[in-house]
Amino acid sequence: MSQLVYLVPLLPLAGFLINGLLRKSLSKQAVSIIGCGVILIAFLISLGLFFQVKANGPIIQTYFNFIDIKGLNIPFSFQVDALSVLFMLIITGVGFLIHVYSTSYMHEESTPHFARYFSFLNLFVFSMLLLVMGGNYLILFLGWEGVGLCSYLLIGYWFKNTDYNYAAKKAFIMNRIGDVGFLLGIFWLVAKLGTLTYGNVFAAAGNLSAVDVTGITILLFIGATGKSAQIPLYTWLPDAMAGPTPVSALIHAATMVTAGVYMIARSNILYSMSAVTENVIAIIGIATVLLAATIAIKQNDIKKVLAYSTVSQLGYMFLGLGVGAYNGAVFHVMTHAFFKALLFLGAGSVIHAMGNEQDIRKMGGLRKYMPVTHITFLLGCLAISGIPPFSGFFSKDEILAAAYAKNPVLWVLGVAGAALTAFYMFRLYATTFLGSFRGTHDQEHHLHESPAAITLPLIALAILSVIGGWIGIPAVMIPDANAFHHFLQPVITTEAIAEMPHATEWLLMVVSVAVAVIAILIALGKFTKRPELNEPQGLGGFLAHKWYIDELYDAVIVNPLNALAGFFKNIIEKSGIDGIVNGVGRFILYSSRQVRLVQSGQVGSYILFMVLAIIVLVLIWINDGYIYTYLSKIF
Amino acid sequence: MTGLYTLLQINQLNNTAENYFPIGVQIIFAIGFVATMIGLSALVGPKRKTSDKLENFSSGIASHGNARQPMAVKYFLIAILFVLFDVEVIFFYPYAVNFKFLGWAGFWEIVLFVVLFLIGFIYIIKKGALQWED
Amino acid sequence: MNAIIFSVIGGVVMMFTGIITQQKKAIRNVAIIALIILLLANIFDTYGILSIHIGTHGMLNFQKFGLYFNTLAYAATLLFILISGADVTQIGEGKHAAEFFALIFFSLSGIAIITSYNSLLLLFLGIEIMSIPLYILTGGDKRNLKSNEASLKYFLMGSFSTGILLMGIALMYGAHGGFEISAMKPSAVSNEYGILDPLGLVLVFIAIAFKVSAAPFHFWTPDVYDGSPSVFTSFMATIIKAAGFIAFIRLFDNKYVELGLSWRIILPLVIIATLLVGNITAIFQQSVKRMMAYSSIAQAGFMLFAVFAENDMAKEGILIYTVAYSVATIGIFAVLEKMEDISLAGYNGLAKKHPLLAATNTIFLLSLTGIPLTAGFFAKYYMLLSVIKYGGSTVTWLVIVAVIFAAISAYYYFRVIQAMYFKTGNPEVRSYNKGFCFMLVILAAITILIGIFPTIILNWFYF
Repeated sequence: MSQLVYLVPLLPLAGFLINGLLRKSLSKQAVSIIGCGVILIAFLISLGLFFQVKANGPIIQTYFNFIDIKGLNIPFSFQVDALSVLFMLIITGVGFLIHVYSTSYMHEESTPHFARYFSFLNLFVFSMLLLVMGGNYLILFLGWEGVGLCSYLLIGYWFKNTDYNYAAKKAFIMNRIGDVGFLLGIFWLVAKLGTLTYGNVFAAAGNLSAVDVTGITILLFIGATGKSAQIPLYTWLPDAMAGPTPVSALIHAATMVTAGVYMIARSNILYSMSAVTENVIAIIGIATVLLAATIAIKQNDIKKVLAYSTVSQLGYMFLGLGVGAYNGAVFHVMTHAFFKALLFLGAGSVIHAMGNEQDIRKMGGLRKYMPVTHITFLLGCLAISGIPPFSGFFSKDEILAAAYAKNPVLWVLGVAGAALTAFYMFRLYATTFLGSFRGTHDQEHHLHESPAAITLPLIALAILSVIGGWIGIPAVMIPDANAFHHFLQPVITTEAIAEMPHATEWLLMVVSVAVAVIAILIALGKFTKRPELNEPQGLGGFLAHKWYIDELYDAVIVNPLNALAGFFKNIIEKSGIDGIVNGVGRFILYSSRQVRLVQSGQVGSYILFMVLAIIVLVLIWINDGYIYTYLSKIF
Repeated sequence: MTGLYTLLQINQLNNTAENYFPIGVQIIFAIGFVATMIGLSALVGPKRKTSDKLENFSSGIASHGNARQPMAVKYFLIAILFVLFDVEVIFFYPYAVNFKFLGWAGFWEIVLFVVLFLIGFIYIIKKGALQWED
Repeated sequence: MNAIIFSVIGGVVMMFTGIITQQKKAIRNVAIIALIILLLANIFDTYGILSIHIGTHGMLNFQKFGLYFNTLAYAATLLFILISGADVTQIGEGKHAAEFFALIFFSLSGIAIITSYNSLLLLFLGIEIMSIPLYILTGGDKRNLKSNEASLKYFLMGSFSTGILLMGIALMYGAHGGFEISAMKPSAVSNEYGILDPLGLVLVFIAIAFKVSAAPFHFWTPDVYDGSPSVFTSFMATIIKAAGFIAFIRLFDNKYVELGLSWRIILPLVIIATLLVGNITAIFQQSVKRMMAYSSIAQAGFMLFAVFAENDMAKEGILIYTVAYSVATIGIFAVLEKMEDISLAGYNGLAKKHPLLAATNTIFLLSLTGIPLTAGFFAKYYMLLSVIKYGGSTVTWLVIVAVIFAAISAYYYFRVIQAMYFKTGNPEVRSYNKGFCFMLVILAAITILIGIFPTIILNWFYF
């Protein structure tokens, strides 16, 4: 099995090339089969690798020397261990379901664009696999950049819409800002350790000084804030909803945005060495949870609500990483992949049925028209709200328990975030599916349940959302039942969470579930009959405008930068640089015109010049010592 | 006499500006002498200003025509060729002095030298450089 | 010795050919055959086959480097005659074709002496034997006033430099008591010769600098190159100029391995002045011929690096430079000879009407600029590398200056390319035959071949 490792990323790459190059000649059916087939085979191989890793431990495959210069050797290698195989399964598994879903969802596109969509999607899967399978930070970075590119391409998939292009650019630039930090972190690692291979880095981590560790981890974390949409670089993710809904589900909910979590979990040995970084991550994580959750409460676009919910859930993951609950964070990545993909695909199904309407104020009462979508969406909402025994409960509980062990304030804020989550999710649910239909008559006429290619992935994800958490049942409930911890043991070696009395842990669980249930009941009671249809005022307006963060960024960073760029372009470039460059040319032309005049054609003057030159040369020769001394003083 | 001797002594001892004093005196004296003599002869000598004094003449015969007249280029050609072959003869003098010492080797070398000149001579004749009439 | 003997015989043969026949084609063919014999004789001599030895009492010292340079110079002359021989026979109403070839042969014998001299007297003789035929060739177009003026100027200024050369030789003789450079000890090491030896060397340097048209002794170059018939400009600017550098290299070779302090000031000064004058003045020229005259000054600036570095790399470099520069310049002048209007405007739109001429001319111009994949690139590369090898970081600034000037040179070379390809015009071109086209292609092929495999030339050198 281990010799098939290279096939896992290679298959999606092949799919990308075939679909991309032959997009004009392949039929939609062929494109669908190739696009989905390569992912399915990759998934099956990943599954085989999973069992092998479980039985025999990690596989490291080195293919060739990627960079080999004096003092630095970076091989092109894949490292398939517990952590990466888990991500591979999520990527290819959820990815496959979303590919299948897309065959129906994107069916209205013309054939070349349909093929373009699938080629991009395959390229994304390839890049994401490269990211998680790479055996060193450089391969990870290659994948990191690759997913950023695919994200850009897919957000701007409908490139005729200027706003979408703007959103794509925003995502790319925000990510680039983070990438700079990431690259600097890699450089720092190379400078200090001379290697980027995981095993060597972690083995030599003990040699790093405290400043080095903190610097490197903070820089890598800056990269993560860009990719995983954390404060302050989160604003691109809500705008990224411009892409097709399956893209939002795959890239901006299930996989790409968790790359930062993967990277930090992968580097847990480095991160656990720096308390400063851990605190920074925890604080940014919880702040993101609350900020995004409050914004989500007042959003009316179904995808925007889910986008902010994603940001908020990612905040939980970083909270987990910050308090040292690496297992919990990765666990939450997995459950979140299930239920958030489910929610996005469900939203897609609704949007599809509503004829591309995304405003929940124009929906309502969809329960009776779309039963499958309704049930699966409800399950997703329950999972994200942390209601037992759904998957979200287990992962979120693990993070919150660790947060409590670290600092009870974090726990209180985390539970508040959980309550907000439950509230806005059920506001969304109630406004969309309950009550009466508020759209046009025409829309009502067309309402129908989606085809099987859409509902089957929904059902599959719904099942996973329900049972997905059962592999990580805390020891309080059933001792030694946490298969998840056990599986990740070889990779996450540094998890150290203080033991708590069982009573305390039970109490924490009960409180958080109770708070969530109360929030659900309030939301259902408030929005089922009288949904919020007016533009919100006051604090609500403030939240609906996303805390005016985008405007703040525009005012503080974008506009001054634009002004500076304008200054450079109009003043420095035009008058300064162009002036110098053209001036040099003009000066040479001018001097050419002048020097030419020396050539007068008079032999007498020529000989005069030559005699003068002879005298000068002889004088130089006589005084060479002085001249040399002066010259060496000047230079 | 003693004064001059002292001056010379100083001159040998160190090299300052005042040591050039005798030289300065001499230069002034030389210029002064020349100027005085020319001035005196101009003042004292007899003067007759006639146009005849400005005429060119040679051996008392009045000149006629301009000396700078165009000449046939053949003159120059022949003159140059004459010089060329005349110079050749000069090389025979050292050879004649060392005739015995250089032996046969020297003889063949001088033959080569003469042959080269002969080739040139034949070339000149064939080219018609010595033909006076065109 | 073969080279000297055969070139003199070749010259004499050409003289009498002119008497026997007036057929231009026959004269040209005789010249080509004589040149091939000369070339073969020299190649044989290089590898010790059929070489004639005449005792010179140590005044000549035949070394492989000099003989190999002879080969390159004669091969370049052969290419020159093959492509421009017909034009040579047309000059001066076509009455003196054989004499022109004879003079070229005599000039070649001068080169053979320069490349192998050991006595300073023979350096003087070689330079004179090389130069005097050129004075005549410059005035070859007898009825053309410009040609006459150029000839007279060249002669006047050449005599001036000869005087300086003799003065220098006399001073060096005074210091060393002999003319053999191999017996002279470096004055930089032992100071026993006082002022005579270095001053003599400065004067000899100046005289040879005059011959290779290094600034500020370049003043004759533009006027003479511009005035003389284009074919002879081509010959003078390439083969003769390269021979001057060999004179330099032999002079400085074992004598001044460690150049004194003064040379480390004087040589860079001369190099920079040469590059400056050549490149800056070339920019403003409207006549391509005159531009090429200044360009040849600029190229001399680059070749002077070999004198400055004076190591094995510099010797290899000067060989490559000779070939690269000669081939390209011969090609450019061959095309120029076919143009009715040799101003820049005369080249307008050449690519449309005569694509082959324009294309090959472009290759030659690129080679002179030093664009990679042409011979000129490696020529410049070797030159700069040899200096770096010689001086390391202390001469980096000099290399940077050289590269800047190389960049400036692109301006005026590319102006010709621009005129040929991007401007519209109606260029008037004299008739040319298939053989001419074939030779142009050969020259272009050599340029590119050396641009890809520069070691071809050097392999022969070490063979």
